[in-house]
Amino acid sequence: MIECPSCGRRQAPRLTCEQCSAPLGAELDCFAALGLPPKLTIDLPALERLYHDLSRRVHPDRFASANSKVRSASLRATALLTRSYRTLKDPVARGLCWLELKGQKLADNNKQVPSDLAELVFDVQEQLAELTAERSDQLEATVSARREEVDQAMSDAFENLARNFAASDAGGGEEQKLIADLKTILSRIAYLRTLLRDIDRALKNANAA
Amino acid sequence: MSRIFGIDLGTTQSLIAIMDGGAPRVIEEATTGNALLPSVVAMAPDGRVEVGAGAIELEPHLTVEKDGRVSAVGFEGGEYGAVIRSVKRYMGLGGGEVAPEDRVRYTFADLTGPVVRFKVGSRSFTPPQISAEILRALKARAEQAFGDKVERVVITVPAYFNDGQRQATKDAGRLAGLEVVRLVNEPTAASLAYGLGKMAEGLVAVYDFGGGTFDISILNIKEGIFEVLATNGDTHLGGDDIDRAVAEWLLAALPDFVKTDRHIWNSARIAAEDAKKRLSDLAETEVVVELPSQTIRKSLTRAALEKLAEPFVTRTIERSEMALADAKLKPAAIDAVVLVGGSTRMPYVREQVRTLFGREPLCSIDPEEVVALGAAVQAGVLMGTQGDLLLLDVVPLSLGIETMGGVMERLIHRNTTIPTSIGDNFTTAVDNQTHVDIHVLQGERELAKDCRSLARFKLGPIEPQPAGLPRIEVTFLIDANGILSVTARDERTGREHSIDVKPSYGLTDDEIERMLEEAIDLGEQDLEQRLLITARNDAEQILGALHKQLGEWASLLQGGERERIEEAAERLERARKETDRELIATLVEELNELTTPFAERIMDRAIKDALEKKSVDDLS
Repeated sequence: MIECPSCGRRQAPRLTCEQCSAPLGAELDCFAALGLPPKLTIDLPALERLYHDLSRRVHPDRFASANSKVRSASLRATALLTRSYRTLKDPVARGLCWLELKGQKLADNNKQVPSDLAELVFDVQEQLAELTAERSDQLEATVSARREEVDQAMSDAFENLARNFAASDAGGGEEQKLIADLKTILSRIAYLRTLLRDIDRALKNANAA
Repeated sequence: MSRIFGIDLGTTQSLIAIMDGGAPRVIEEATTGNALLPSVVAMAPDGRVEVGAGAIELEPHLTVEKDGRVSAVGFEGGEYGAVIRSVKRYMGLGGGEVAPEDRVRYTFADLTGPVVRFKVGSRSFTPPQISAEILRALKARAEQAFGDKVERVVITVPAYFNDGQRQATKDAGRLAGLEVVRLVNEPTAASLAYGLGKMAEGLVAVYDFGGGTFDISILNIKEGIFEVLATNGDTHLGGDDIDRAVAEWLLAALPDFVKTDRHIWNSARIAAEDAKKRLSDLAETEVVVELPSQTIRKSLTRAALEKLAEPFVTRTIERSEMALADAKLKPAAIDAVVLVGGSTRMPYVREQVRTLFGREPLCSIDPEEVVALGAAVQAGVLMGTQGDLLLLDVVPLSLGIETMGGVMERLIHRNTTIPTSIGDNFTTAVDNQTHVDIHVLQGERELAKDCRSLARFKLGPIEPQPAGLPRIEVTFLIDANGILSVTARDERTGREHSIDVKPSYGLTDDEIERMLEEAIDLGEQDLEQRLLITARNDAEQILGALHKQLGEWASLLQGGERERIEEAAERLERARKETDRELIATLVEELNELTTPFAERIMDRAIKDALEKKSVDDLS
């Protein structure tokens, strides 16, 4: 239970007071902060509208003349709201936040790199090392082509992620399998992101040299 | 609740504005009708202060008398008072960060401490104190216009200001007796002024090139929400730099010690600034600087000015590209470009902006007033009179902590919407460790040493426990002003931990308290010791310079002059070893007066020599 700093009403933690709608400054997960059910599929334009609407209600600029307790609650509520919005906007961060709510950690039972990915990562890293050692137009073209390949793998992973989100939200059994799949997809994306970052860095350095 | 005013505390000029019947307007000075207050502060050793046009008159410069003689006027060398221009450039800087070229333009009391100190007579003043004088002048102006007390204000700051620079601005407000309700980023404020009248909507780029700072902000303006997507900039890049480049060009033929003479430099700088402004309309102009023995007369074309301005303008375009990249936008995606700041009056600047964005930039609101107008709109938001308007700004620089091996670990990334917070867990590294030190940094570089040090926090005391057992959760919170605060909690006991904060730059709370008291009571004991050191340093400096001059320019001495000077120098040399600060100051003053004619002769001769050599070079 939390007490509203404005009207004093005691209530379950939420973003704004159920009685006077002042910000409470409670600690909430990223879904609860925006008053959303913990669903993985999210309509992004609607999320943005919701975020803007809630910002108008809790932002410190709305409480410039309030007492320090209310101002402090407004500051904490807004910090929580912006952080939660950022998390929900990004499917990967959203998936991780959702897993955490389920009491799951990404690394649990999810240690090995998928074999097709391991090969790709190994190959590309080798080519990047060559490119860094001695730049050539041909190597650069090869790496650029590999970048497209990784990009494609990334798009595929995101499509898988969207399918997994939809299946999870639909419910109906197989929850454990869906969670395991989700972990696999999220780590896959993490590997691909690192790889993309390394490729871009190597290409940039090669161009600068 | 009292009204909230909007203040643009600019590098070269400042303004105050207010919401008036649903629209913002700037408040003009009653007698002159000027809205712009030059951000120039003159401080006399007796405590007298002038701000604005009155201060510019006291600035060291050369003036042509009725009889045609050119003479040097104005406060000099800190000893007889100081005139400080562009003090904003020094906000939040440590003494050691004063640029070498600036060290000769002012006299500093301390070039090593965590804050810059300008020397005025036997006292010293920090940038927040000097900025407070500008704020007081604006406050007085608004109080005269409204007959009401000005107590609460919104002050604008460059979007790219770091935590220390923001804190220094808040300190200035406090020292001026104002409650700074909110700091607003200048480009964001400008977007509010445009957005209020629906003159700019959608994806908007605000290009703000002022007197001393550059900012670029990319916003998404939609249904009253002003959401900043990315910002970039340089807090030491502005029209001032272009003026300097032109002044250097004007004085190119003169030896360095003449160029750095405060009177000559300021006269050249003023001539340079005027010429720059004229060239916004003309293709060519004549620039004249009257020196004691010669007149410098040069012709400057717009093309030549653009060549001098190019390196600075190029940097603004590079920064703009970085902001676009951070916002993940192509220039063509931008719906409107807004010009802010006096430097955007230069046709060359407009042309470069137009080329980058491929569209005609907006400047229907006066680029020198738009930031203050926006500050007034934000004041209206805070007073609750602006309906649904809301700013969602970002933090311009990443925030992190120093980790093992001197690496910067980012906790909050640049362009994160604020207010925002993040928690991080800390523990001990050795058994029975009672304190944990946290070094907070701001910046984009990989290594801690390349980032800006914000503060060092000491967590504790922690109960003696085996290493790794204590769990302390530290929360870093950045408020809507872009200012950081840190709290810590023991995870096991839930108890709040006390934190000892040592800011790396700027003033501590105690120092500000003391300054507020000092304004009332000048008597200070530990001040005495510092003043003695300052007086000794002054004596040393003048004696050293004199020794050199007596050697190099002996031929310019007149009958009996050397003996009189050497006798006075001897007395000062003796006093310097004693502790009578007043006596040292008096003797320094005496020696200064005695050697002034000699110094003037040296200056005249040096200029003549340089210009004659130049004309010989030109002929050959």
